[in-house]
Amino acid sequence: MARFILRSLLSTAVTMFLVSLALFLLVEVGSGDITVKILGVFSTPEQRASYRAQLGLDQPWYLRYLDWLVGNDWRAERLVGHPLVTVRNPQSGELEWWAQVAGEQLRWDMEEGQIYELVRQEDGSAMRRPAPETIWREGPEGEAVFWGVDEQNRAAMWIQGKPGVAFILTKAGMRQETDAPHRYIPLRKGLLRGDPGMSLMTGRPVMATLPTRIRNTFVLAGLAFMVVMPLALLFGIVAGVNEGRPLDRTISITSLALTATPEFVTGVFLILILGIWLRVLPPTTVFLSDSDIWNLKLLVLPVLTLTAVELGYVVRMTRASMVEVMNSPYIRTAILKGMPFRRVVFRHAVRNALMAPITVIMLHVNWLVGGIVVVEVVFGFPGLGSYIYDAAIFGDFNAVEAAAMLMVTIAVGTRLVGDVIYTLLNPRIRYS
Amino acid sequence: MAVAQPTVDPARRRPSRLQRLWAGLALVFQSRVGTIGLAMVLFWVVVALISLVWTPYPPNASLFEQNLPPNGTNWLGTDHLGRDLLSRLMTGTQVILLKTRLPNGLVLPIGVAIWGVLGSLVLGTVLGLNAGYRGGWWDQTIMQVLDALIAFPRIVLYLVVIAALGQGDWVVILAITVTGAPGVARLVRSLALDIKTRDFIRAAETRGESPWYIMFVEILPNARGPLIVDAMLRVGYAIFAIGTLGFLGIGLPPPDPDWGSMVNDARRFIYANPLAVVWPSLAIASLVVGLNLFADGLREETTRYQK
Amino acid sequence: MSEPTRQPPVLTIENLAVAYRVRGGEIEAVQDVSFSIHRGESFGLVGESGCGKSTVAWAIVGFLGANGYVKRGAIRFMGRDLVGRSQEELRRLRGAQIAMVYQDPMQALNPSLRIGDQLKEVLTVHRGMSDQEATRRCIEMLERVYMPDPADVMRRYPHQISGGQQQRVVIAMALLTNPALLIMDEPTTALDVTVEAVVLDLIAELRREFDTAILYISHNLGVVARVCNRVGVMYAGELVERAPVREIFQDPRHPYTQGLMRCVPRLGQDKRSAVLYPIPGRVPPPDQRPEGCVFHPRCDHAEERCVAERPGFRPYRAEHMVRCHLAETIDPRAWTPPPDLAFPLPQAPEPNGRTGEIILEVDRLRKYYTAQGNSLRDVLGLTPKRFVQAVQEVSFQVPRGKTLGIVGESGCGKSTLVKTLIGLESATDGRAEFLGFDITVDLSQRPLEVIEELQMVFQNPDSTMNPAYTVGHQIGRPLRRFRKVQTREEEYREVVRLLEAVRLDASYYDRLPRQLSGGEKQRVGIARALASRPELILCDEPVSALDVSVQAAVLNLLLELQQRYGTTMIFIAHDLSVVRFFSDYVAVMYLGQIMEFGPAEAIYAPPYHPYTEALLSAVPIPDPDAHQRHIRLEGNVPSALSPPSGCPFHTRCPRRHLLPDNGAVCAQERPPWREPAEGHRILCHLPLETLQALEPVLEPVASASGAETSAR
Repeated sequence: MARFILRSLLSTAVTMFLVSLALFLLVEVGSGDITVKILGVFSTPEQRASYRAQLGLDQPWYLRYLDWLVGNDWRAERLVGHPLVTVRNPQSGELEWWAQVAGEQLRWDMEEGQIYELVRQEDGSAMRRPAPETIWREGPEGEAVFWGVDEQNRAAMWIQGKPGVAFILTKAGMRQETDAPHRYIPLRKGLLRGDPGMSLMTGRPVMATLPTRIRNTFVLAGLAFMVVMPLALLFGIVAGVNEGRPLDRTISITSLALTATPEFVTGVFLILILGIWLRVLPPTTVFLSDSDIWNLKLLVLPVLTLTAVELGYVVRMTRASMVEVMNSPYIRTAILKGMPFRRVVFRHAVRNALMAPITVIMLHVNWLVGGIVVVEVVFGFPGLGSYIYDAAIFGDFNAVEAAAMLMVTIAVGTRLVGDVIYTLLNPRIRYS
Repeated sequence: MAVAQPTVDPARRRPSRLQRLWAGLALVFQSRVGTIGLAMVLFWVVVALISLVWTPYPPNASLFEQNLPPNGTNWLGTDHLGRDLLSRLMTGTQVILLKTRLPNGLVLPIGVAIWGVLGSLVLGTVLGLNAGYRGGWWDQTIMQVLDALIAFPRIVLYLVVIAALGQGDWVVILAITVTGAPGVARLVRSLALDIKTRDFIRAAETRGESPWYIMFVEILPNARGPLIVDAMLRVGYAIFAIGTLGFLGIGLPPPDPDWGSMVNDARRFIYANPLAVVWPSLAIASLVVGLNLFADGLREETTRYQK
Repeated sequence: MSEPTRQPPVLTIENLAVAYRVRGGEIEAVQDVSFSIHRGESFGLVGESGCGKSTVAWAIVGFLGANGYVKRGAIRFMGRDLVGRSQEELRRLRGAQIAMVYQDPMQALNPSLRIGDQLKEVLTVHRGMSDQEATRRCIEMLERVYMPDPADVMRRYPHQISGGQQQRVVIAMALLTNPALLIMDEPTTALDVTVEAVVLDLIAELRREFDTAILYISHNLGVVARVCNRVGVMYAGELVERAPVREIFQDPRHPYTQGLMRCVPRLGQDKRSAVLYPIPGRVPPPDQRPEGCVFHPRCDHAEERCVAERPGFRPYRAEHMVRCHLAETIDPRAWTPPPDLAFPLPQAPEPNGRTGEIILEVDRLRKYYTAQGNSLRDVLGLTPKRFVQAVQEVSFQVPRGKTLGIVGESGCGKSTLVKTLIGLESATDGRAEFLGFDITVDLSQRPLEVIEELQMVFQNPDSTMNPAYTVGHQIGRPLRRFRKVQTREEEYREVVRLLEAVRLDASYYDRLPRQLSGGEKQRVGIARALASRPELILCDEPVSALDVSVQAAVLNLLLELQQRYGTTMIFIAHDLSVVRFFSDYVAVMYLGQIMEFGPAEAIYAPPYHPYTEALLSAVPIPDPDAHQRHIRLEGNVPSALSPPSGCPFHTRCPRRHLLPDNGAVCAQERPPWREPAEGHRILCHLPLETLQALEPVLEPVASASGAETSAR
């Protein structure tokens, strides 16, 4: 049993690594030049190059992958030579990166070729003072360079006597700016440390929006799960026990029709029937405030849609497993021992029959996730699914990666749970 | 024994391929469910073939008033741009079943759904056979990679692939191939694990046959029954997926109509013309249900046949 | 044997016919079966597979599935007819008054319930007993079936005990309510011969003590001879003969029964002294049964009447019923084989002196597998690596043109040995030379010329051929692969020649495996092995999965081919009679080692190894009068992960006590090879004189057939 569980753990870890690598490569390398999308097709190559450098996209892919996964503050620290810390700005409420230098928290800025130190004050503002000449170090090509933290949460490299030129994206468009650094490392803690970076869509950290979205989705999926499971297992067992009879045929065909109908079709039909023709429920879920998530009336249609799709699948699984068990020799033994039929079903069959579906149901959670994306889009439900959809359409790679990794983690995690449950249920593995 | 020129009794000849195909279909007709499924699928195939030569009106032309309910001229009504829904519904079968548009303007016969399934069958079979027959290190590695692929919720993978590579028929084929291959591989692997324990595999090994020979010549032909059933189901999933992608606005590129995007368009005008949403929805559901029923019937009859 | 009692029978079956509804009609699986069983009596139902024995059992318990039903006849249990009773009434009988024991005990027990729970519920449901009371009764019953440590077994899951123990659990479960009728459907078929012997003893003992009526279903005449006092022979859904056990074996009247007796080798017969006569043809499937007498197409005595008129089941003598028009006129002893079955006896071996050239020499061959532990410590690699010692230190030589038989029970390493020789596995250590080539490497490293000289015939006829290809294609493949033929024309001619060599004809060329019977498939498998003209053929239980009536045909074919082509063979089997019949030399294996090796005739008489002795004593002999000494092995076969020290057999050896200190030396030292004669060696601490003095297990068998008349 220890071997089995350890194996699952190991395999899960490797899977997650492969997934993260594949996801990263697909999104960041496969998607071509993201800056064209953001800056527009009329931007000049210089503007794009500068913007790419500011986003850290000029780095080789493996470094960016590492940054994304485990952060780059430790890498930047070596260049800056001081510990880098995140501090929450009491005015904006957002986290900022500062360098910890001799009891003070500093950032730097260049003006007219002169480097200024910005010393953080208690209220989050900064006091400006010229930096000493001693900060300059010798760079690789003999020039004097300085690595510090700039005001946009990046580690930046300035060169003495050679101010850089950068194009800054503002609401009004691209603005050229001198006294800019030559290299950037956009500071982040990395996915594993809970920081998936900035969202290009909102200009705010991904983590600012994600938790609410996750919560909403959990409410939706949890409700659907609670409706689906007891119903599906019940119908599956009933159908399996009555194999070949009209009751079984009815359940089987209905569940087949349910699984074979795409979520959006089910959803649209439900909207049409309940929302538009019968007018008993609101046809869309528009959340006016965050607490609307507990407004059950808004939740009925999405939950029903998810239930319809999931129900059929689990019923079919359970039925197939039940049929197999009911035809097994040990059920024959139980019947020929003269056990009452209820006892045969509940004591001898159900436990064995549920072993297979439980693992498959757990495996199937990523199917459920797929359904959630569509259902959330259909109903305009502000969850994780519509988040990743919007992000993918926009090309917001940090957000897509974060949301996708989260979904994969949920899927893989539940599968691991399924494996463990299976081991616990199956004495053959438990006692080997 | 002096048998100079033994001749084969023609009556004992193996049945031809056509005969065997017919025998397979006859098997499906044994099952009521399978027959209904086949009829539903054939209906749409016939519609697709007709749409190649005739539709009531040009499917992409705005010739009528917008959002008309069903009437004498437009049997199913019109959409938000005043196009004939019946014509669009009929033409919508083509991209799924009959043609694939390549980026350079070429058109391949056979639709996106079927190419996608063929792709996943080929990829999945090669991986599954190697994992199942060779076992050990091959198995571990292949299954680990497939596990990683399976870990992606399908729709997320579609979203990511399309976000990365853009829209296009071949992108959808690629997405279907990649998402379908792990399932096929798992199926083929489990079949190979079973088949490889049989003595005829030992016989081939003791003849010193190569692993590729054993996998493709000895094992694969015996896996074809379950694979055909699985392929039917997968065509269903693929149509399902194409519909979903079309609905999400990231599926097959315009201008040719596809059912998913028809549902999406109609949904936005659901108050003006509620029935417009119904037709393409019913089309997708009936085709997918038909394929599922057909596969179920086929499976039921082949397993009964084995008993 | 008990005399038929005056009491009414426990079970009476009259003219039973069972039919299954299938698509497009129905099939009568069982027709016209009648018999009765009294208290304390055990009735054996024998027949080949597909003849409807099990269907009779299912009909009795009313478990024929959704599409089966009793079409005609009556099943009377304790005077009441069971046909047409409600499920609830049947349920009250099942388990309480009618109990059943099945072929595969592992399958019959629920894998996810503890054994105790599965046993107790019989009592709590039927008798309304309290849990504690039931537990006590179950432990008692487990003790009754000699289950070691019953209280512990109650807490275990089925997969945690051995096959023999599982079967004891199933038997105990059946006996818990002291049923009036016990139905046993091939209860020992899945078990090894020494375990089978112990279980059969147990059944015989329980029958006497519990005074139960037993319906015993088996395909094995030897087993039936041992445990039954009346026997019914079934063929193609009909009962063809029914008589007391002794009469069935000594004076069989139905040609089918007679044929069954002729086609199995008796223990002690060999290929030079006896010929096996197969019954021609095959058992017809239920939907293709012939008109008239069902057996007539396969019967040597068939007359016009047999084709036209279905014989009734009529008395031949008191207590002896037979379904044959000619029962009185057929004399089994006057039977002469029809010309197409005539088969020349192999020539006697050359007189002492020149043995054939040695073509296979194996010296201290070992094959170990690494074992995976499952505890956390194992996974982290904290425990030392362990090995399954599947084959350890095996040495032997095979001369050209001879047959080496290897016997042993499951897990003794005989299959691993063969896999290593053929190259499916590479050897761990030791030497193996075939025609001067090293064959310790696996197939991927052997040159093609070695591969073609070493071919194999497999056990299972249903899996020996690839279902996807025709017979011709599959026999042709080795011809193409080893470049034996150049053109398609040549290939076709060669395949037909091979088909004819295995007594099939050209019409088989285009058939698919599913159109062949088991025996035919096995012949094709032999033809395929012959295609490359190999020097050595390894036969892995080639007949054990076949029905007895066709076993003989395949054995004869192998003998004939060996004579014609001078092929050397290694023949693996668990059936000692078959090995004795077929082989020139025999190796007896136990836990990966050869315990005894020698000429076939030497193995079957003292001096022999105590394990050989136990095996011989366990073989079921199809003769109720055979005197077999009673030697039973205790305990289970030890794990090959940690084989016992010293002599691997010492943990179960019944002869150990003949050594001083109750055989202390057996547990400590590896035994020496005793050589009673040139080429005969025994791995045992017992001195030769002691081994020599062991009483023979069997009476000299030669007289067994002669004894038939005297007992009448």
